[in-house]
Amino acid sequence: MKGPALIGKNLSLGYTQGKIRKEVLSGLNFSLNSGELTCLLGPNGVGKSTLVKSIMGRLEPWRGEILLNGKRIEDYPREELAREMAVVLTEPVLPAQMTVYQLVGLGRAPYTDWMGSLNNQDEEAVEEALSNTKIQYLRDQRLGEISDGQRQKALIARALAQDCDVVILDEPTAHLDLVNRYEVMYLLREIAQKEKKAILVVTHDLDIALETADRFWLMNCGTPLISGRPEDLVFSGEINELIAGGQFHFSMKRGRVEFQHPQAELEIEGPGDMVYWVQKALNKAGVKQIASPIRLVKDPFSIFYDGTSFDSLDDLIRFLLK
Amino acid sequence: MKNTKTGIWIFTGLMVLVLVFMLNISLGSVHISVQEIFEGLLFGNWERPSHEQIVLHFRLPKAVVSMIAGIGLSLSGLQMQTFFRNPLAGPFVLGISSGAGLGVAVLILAGTGLGLSAGILNTWATAFAGTLGAGSVLLLVSLVAWKVKDSMTLLIVGLMFGSAVSAVISLLSYFSGAEALKLFTVWSMGSLGSLGWSQVGILSLILLIGMIPMIFSVKAYNVMLLGEAYAQSMGINPIRLRWSMILSTGLLAGAVTAFCGPIAFIGIAVPHLARMIWKTPDHRVLFPASAVMGAVLLLLCDSVGQLPGSAQTLPINAVTSLVGAPIVVSLVLRKNFSKEF
Repeated sequence: MKGPALIGKNLSLGYTQGKIRKEVLSGLNFSLNSGELTCLLGPNGVGKSTLVKSIMGRLEPWRGEILLNGKRIEDYPREELAREMAVVLTEPVLPAQMTVYQLVGLGRAPYTDWMGSLNNQDEEAVEEALSNTKIQYLRDQRLGEISDGQRQKALIARALAQDCDVVILDEPTAHLDLVNRYEVMYLLREIAQKEKKAILVVTHDLDIALETADRFWLMNCGTPLISGRPEDLVFSGEINELIAGGQFHFSMKRGRVEFQHPQAELEIEGPGDMVYWVQKALNKAGVKQIASPIRLVKDPFSIFYDGTSFDSLDDLIRFLLK
Repeated sequence: MKNTKTGIWIFTGLMVLVLVFMLNISLGSVHISVQEIFEGLLFGNWERPSHEQIVLHFRLPKAVVSMIAGIGLSLSGLQMQTFFRNPLAGPFVLGISSGAGLGVAVLILAGTGLGLSAGILNTWATAFAGTLGAGSVLLLVSLVAWKVKDSMTLLIVGLMFGSAVSAVISLLSYFSGAEALKLFTVWSMGSLGSLGWSQVGILSLILLIGMIPMIFSVKAYNVMLLGEAYAQSMGINPIRLRWSMILSTGLLAGAVTAFCGPIAFIGIAVPHLARMIWKTPDHRVLFPASAVMGAVLLLLCDSVGQLPGSAQTLPINAVTSLVGAPIVVSLVLRKNFSKEF
């Protein structure tokens, strides 16, 4: 593990519209480490996009500074910055006629001549990016003809072809199905470790981020940015910063956010993992009390209650609510 | 493999261009065969001296102007569509044609109102007035563009300027006499045949100069396909590209409009046709492809407009829309248009 590639020091960010100055974030401190996958989490409207914008150099900080490899982002000439930092944005519109290879090839733009022709070295970089994202088989497909998940991987490949130490991804897993979400995040993790890149992912998928990230940046209104190993944040309870209001809580056992039910403790006997799901189903259905304990048998699956046997929870709940 | 295929298509396009060019020259009220034109142009063997006159001083300059206008408008349209990432953008979205219209309207409508005789209204005068008008509107838009941050706002500003200028033209038309109004209406229908060789020379020179900023921005246009934010992250300066685009399209579309009047449709449609046929978003292919297609299409439209066998010609602006619109509609219906862009 190398040192930090990107450091934010006492950063204040905001927008000026006419005479109104609106400060969005203040007093931010962070560091993005090489070889690590960092996930930025926080509720909508907390300023994640603003922070990403300023890291990309599109928004100048009001106070403080962002250092990329020891040099201020604003001091980088445009072309040089493009060789240090690549991005994957949320903008969905892409030319449908473009092939995956052409898209990934565009990632070489900071290195190519005025025509944008790829030389041998560029072609090698494109091949490597395609193989690192495991999408060689898509190379001649057009962007209009592939799935959202494949397109996302192609966009990641484009960013990799740009050959930068720092890669920023803004919600790369939005609009993807569950399997693709895991695939994309594991891919990013693998790339961060193998290529020693510093990767920052803005995401709302807490459970997947917990599985894959080396570091969390948590943002919440009015509190400084919390940075740490996800597991440390779980132990310290700081992970609950993510969850405003008292309705939800983070379940340490299950590794995810749960609705805080007014838990009616029902007497259920049987294997532990099954008890959890039965309890959950009864809570959701609003079953407040039962006359006698429910007994669960795993194989063959059956539920015994009040001297009757049920084949499914659905039958049981219907019986209980009658 | 891919490059050779593209090359073959471009080569085919050039062949078609030569064919259409010869066809265009051979058509007209006086019948002159393609064979005679070949012999005449290459060896100077004309059946009659009048044929030489007709071909060299009427049909040839008109065909060359058609090509130049087709190329200029298509290339402007392509640049606008990519820069604004809008399939409906064309060469005139920044108010160039209404600007040229205003210049000519002031010359014809206000000029005749002030007692200038219609005799001064030669091609040079309208071209000068058109250039002046297109230039000043483009300058105004550019001044606003200086302050505008994103391209979508620039597009809206350009369109608004266009409408405002058109309104001024309407006012001028409303208060002018029937004679002047007719002259202006005829100008606004476009004409490819009223230019002599000296004007053709100037037009080609401007076309060549206008292509220079475009050629040097080919990589920027390719990256711009992913949008402004991505382009920035890859080291492209969108502001610089914007100025290069304004300069290039101003010269290309501005000069064509000033000399030939507004010619609709070509600038919007040809880039789409080129994308459909060449099936690539790469501007290294699309620039030459659109140029060839634009030249071919305008030559074809002009040939149709001559109404083979009759002395009458139709206004080019009407023909481009009448001939072109069905072509594009059929292509759009056959293929998924929005997906192709």
